[in-house]
Amino acid sequence: MSENLRESLSALMDDEANELEVQRLLARGGEDEPLRQTWVRYNLARDALKGSTIGLPQVDISHHVRTAIEAGEHAGGARVGLRERLLRPVASFAVAASVAATVIIGGQQLAQVDNPAGFAGDNALATSASPVGMLNSLGATPIQASFGTQSVPVLLPATRTAYQELARQRMGRYMQEHAQHAALNSPQGLIPFARVPEIRE
Amino acid sequence: MRFTISLQRLWPILLLLPWCFASAAHAANCEGADPEALAWLDKMGAGIHQHSYHGVVTLQRRENMHVMQVSHLVNQGVSSERMTQLTGQGARVDRSAHPLECVHPGHRLLQVGKDLQAGNCGIASQYRFVVNGKERVAGRAAVRLQIVPRDMYRYGYRIALDRETGLLLKAETYGHGDKVLEKFQYANLSYEDAPRGSAEVETVHQAEHPHPDHSAITAPVSKPWAVNWLPRGFAATDASAGVSGRRSYTDGLAVFSVFLEEFEHEIRPGEGVVREGATTAYTRGMSVEGEPVLITVIGEVPVNTARMVADSIDWMP
Repeated sequence: MSENLRESLSALMDDEANELEVQRLLARGGEDEPLRQTWVRYNLARDALKGSTIGLPQVDISHHVRTAIEAGEHAGGARVGLRERLLRPVASFAVAASVAATVIIGGQQLAQVDNPAGFAGDNALATSASPVGMLNSLGATPIQASFGTQSVPVLLPATRTAYQELARQRMGRYMQEHAQHAALNSPQGLIPFARVPEIRE
Repeated sequence: MRFTISLQRLWPILLLLPWCFASAAHAANCEGADPEALAWLDKMGAGIHQHSYHGVVTLQRRENMHVMQVSHLVNQGVSSERMTQLTGQGARVDRSAHPLECVHPGHRLLQVGKDLQAGNCGIASQYRFVVNGKERVAGRAAVRLQIVPRDMYRYGYRIALDRETGLLLKAETYGHGDKVLEKFQYANLSYEDAPRGSAEVETVHQAEHPHPDHSAITAPVSKPWAVNWLPRGFAATDASAGVSGRRSYTDGLAVFSVFLEEFEHEIRPGEGVVREGATTAYTRGMSVEGEPVLITVIGEVPVNTARMVADSIDWMP
């Protein structure tokens, strides 16, 4: 992946990408497997930093979504009446919505593989919103809610807290050594030492 | 289908587009730069260790205000600096006998005049510098500079420099959405030689000239490693390399350090981040070619930069 694409991707993640960059990423995202993988990874990392649950990291849902929408479009058959033409936009919206909902459930179930206890609350909520009936009635390809038992690096809430604590500890441990270099290489004199939580002799 | 074909035809043009923009922007970077602002920057960079002064500085980080006494004495080719905390821990940091001819990479990067003469944009490729009026700081007439980053890998600054000496009197670091992360400012300043303050101190730290071979805290690692991606314009602050557990980089305004620790046992992969003012501490546990490591990036850069740097770490072949 080129430096340009990497920058564009970062810009997109920070909500700062311009129109050209967005178009380029969308165009390339279709075929460029490393780009898509990086994209997924950045999103996971950001979600982890924001503290939200991580689900489905290894599963690329894009082609399932595409298949489902194509299947939905073909479901109308050869005779396209006025009624169907009017309903089509609504129907494809419903397919897209149901795919999204299924993916959420899938994510929750995957998370459960690794963590039987942790997500019980979320799971109960997702199950009650299951739109499986609607999905089948439209003739779209039913999508498995679980993609197997592939191991998923789910960040348990405990791990998240532990890593934040670790980051704080490391800041305490390394800040003074960083300040030494910052003081000699930035224009603020010894002020970087004022950022050290506790100055040691 | 038709859409796919037209895209394929467009590809050569689309591929060329970023290149065209990049070269146009590059030429404009230097031309578009405000020469007056760059002259002020150069004056600041060149004058960092040239003046004797003392004063009181405040550092505001969120709701915390730190107050410090600083002094900088130049005598017979060496400079002596001292910072005494008047609030908080009450520690003192001394750096004495620093030779004036010893110019570190960060200060060298600020001396943009040399770069411009050599036909490079230097730091002006990484930031846009604009003179933005004048103000008074610590009783001194000051010129205001707006420093806008040209990419999202670094923060922006609003600074004020002493019109007479070029000394940095005030600096605001701001992040995404113009949010001020940290504010540093002189409350009073004098260029006269003055007796050193007599504030009571608990801890005295003698800041040494960093030596790449012996790190105070970081243990050496078992094999050489490298950071394979840096934001444009960042250079190593010292010759630290190989098995040293630390690397530090600067673009002249921002500095970050990377620390690597090895683990004997597998660790649960993950990442954590803590932010204090403009400082980001980002810690990531991962395995590099099957070996568990803990990487910490600390510095005055956005989280995204820290994460991308950590992402690029690998063992050297």
